[in-house]
Amino acid sequence: MFFYDLKTRLSVENKFIIETVDLKKTYKGKLHPTLNGLNLRIPYGSLFGLLAPNGAGKTTAINVICGLRKYDSGKVFIEGYDLSRDLKAIKPLLGLVPQDIALYPTLTAYENLKIFGGLYGIEKPLLEKRIDQLLELFDLSASRNSYINRFSGGMKRRVNMVAGMLHAPGILILDEPTVGVDAQSRMMILEKLIEINRAGTTILFISHYLEEAEHICTEVAFMDNGTIICQGHPGDLIDAHKPCGSLESIYLKLTGKRMRDTQ
Amino acid sequence: MKKFRYLLYKDYLLLRRDVAGLMLMFLMPSVLVILMTLLQQSTFHAITDASVPLLLVNNDQGELGRTIDKELGSSGIFRVDRQINGKTLSLEELEKEVASSRYTLGIYIPENTTIGIQRNVARYVLAAFSGEEVLPLLDSVGFTIFVDPTAKASFYTAIMSTLKERTQKIEFEYILKEISRQVKEISPIPISTEGISGQQVYIDIRDARLKGKNMIPTPVQHNVPAWSLFAVFFIVISLSGSIIRERQDGSFFRLLTMPCSYTDYLLSKAIVFTVVALIQFALIFLIGVFICPLLGLDSLHLGSSPFALVVLTFSSAVAAIGYGVAIGNIADTYHQSSVFGAISIVIMAAIGGVWIPTYIMSEPMKKIGMFSPMRWGLSGFMEVFLQDAGLKAVLPESGMMLLFGIVCFAIAVTFNYRRRLDV
Repeated sequence: MFFYDLKTRLSVENKFIIETVDLKKTYKGKLHPTLNGLNLRIPYGSLFGLLAPNGAGKTTAINVICGLRKYDSGKVFIEGYDLSRDLKAIKPLLGLVPQDIALYPTLTAYENLKIFGGLYGIEKPLLEKRIDQLLELFDLSASRNSYINRFSGGMKRRVNMVAGMLHAPGILILDEPTVGVDAQSRMMILEKLIEINRAGTTILFISHYLEEAEHICTEVAFMDNGTIICQGHPGDLIDAHKPCGSLESIYLKLTGKRMRDTQ
Repeated sequence: MKKFRYLLYKDYLLLRRDVAGLMLMFLMPSVLVILMTLLQQSTFHAITDASVPLLLVNNDQGELGRTIDKELGSSGIFRVDRQINGKTLSLEELEKEVASSRYTLGIYIPENTTIGIQRNVARYVLAAFSGEEVLPLLDSVGFTIFVDPTAKASFYTAIMSTLKERTQKIEFEYILKEISRQVKEISPIPISTEGISGQQVYIDIRDARLKGKNMIPTPVQHNVPAWSLFAVFFIVISLSGSIIRERQDGSFFRLLTMPCSYTDYLLSKAIVFTVVALIQFALIFLIGVFICPLLGLDSLHLGSSPFALVVLTFSSAVAAIGYGVAIGNIADTYHQSSVFGAISIVIMAAIGGVWIPTYIMSEPMKKIGMFSPMRWGLSGFMEVFLQDAGLKAVLPESGMMLLFGIVCFAIAVTFNYRRRLDV
């Protein structure tokens, strides 16, 4: 299995691969909640864009979904599993590609991938095969034995993505995957995401580049003040918010033009 | 278990690529242990060899002057000069010589000192035999000692004690001779004081040890375990740095999204660094056993209980690694952990007797030193190396270090849980 087996999963009754119900979270010492009744529903097989200004709570939402932060109240379901009870079963279903390059700079690309794949419990022969396939897919085969600290920004981003996909996760969560890369690398990353999604993997795509989301996402949600304020297909949203001609115009209309500096 | 092997593999690779960290962990202590031992060895020789320069001006032509001269010369402690450029010095000239630090000690024995003492003793004895209750009028008798003001107080005290002892012995012998002479005059029975000595009480001073082993502490015996402990605790810099770097570069974040627990993550680091600590101990002990003799130093005696040594070494490693893990979790940045880690280790070493043996520390410092894990470890190693102690004897020290390590681990896990999950 190269990518996630969507057909088998679609036989499951639940139609959302990720579903949060009235999720709330207030950090210690903060007066206002960061997640304020978040109801996020991500359908199976979608390439879902989560778009939000700084400080809207999207990083907290991702951390909660990945089991990295506790939440105060509400429910989180991943493929029907309840996060509060089944974190162990949920972890292998998720593939996280963080915004920071979460790789060991003094190890080679192959060593990094071997370690991360091994920690998912992938058998050695299959792991070797997947590493080869994914490095090939992202045009990194020639650099497999080079150290990460000698890679360009774009190459690091691509290895970072491969590391999150080794175990063929049901949902791939990408936090700003194209930030700080050149146009060629950006184009390649977006093309591969579409390819991976078409092969069956649900993708949660978080980005500040709204034209990217408009171009590749099958569904987007705008988030602000810890809650979803608008969700739908990009084309449908543009139609519904005339005269706004783009997601960016809708985004600014809904979230305002006030700067959102956060600490 | 298979997943855990990958964590071990990761920590092994990260360590292997950290060349600076490896140098710090292996090269630094190896060099330190050799250098410090050589330095202390030369100091040891300077003190024990006949090298304290002493200028003696003996103007007394009697027995006291001759005896002091003879005893100082044969004591093995002093290099005695009696003249400078063939000239016997005056009191003022002698003081100048010592004040200029050319001599550590200057002794001036004035003329007729022996006659003066003999006269005073005779007056005492005469007064005692005549039954007079009033003390006789005595001549002022004595000699002057100049001490280099830069000499340490302990050295000064030791020299004074020695000289007082020598003069009292001579005085005692005169008293005995004079009493004997007076008694001979009034008693028809011949008496002899030959063979009567002032040293009736015999003090047996020995190095405390078990099973009668002939082992005395040397710079090698002190420095090798002391610097081994210091080196093992210096792992804290690499270990805490490794934890912080993983947190900062995001790889730790990624690991947490994988099916591996935080305990597994810490355990893997602890195992890899424990192996490093054990190799460090082995390396430095081997230097003590094989390299030190090649440099003219003594060979390290490893005691007679390998089991006690292994337990002590292992518990020292656990204490050091627990401390490193705690710092790695509490500190926010690599800078914080390296500065705090290094300073705290140096303080632990200083109060724990790594640089200066605890037996020459003041009482308050000795008490403060009891809080240093390095003190516990060093105390245990001293028992094993110097007293050939077994496992039972080092259990308290090993237990303390294991407990320290476990408490540090618990602090690290709790701190990480609260910070990461925001609970």
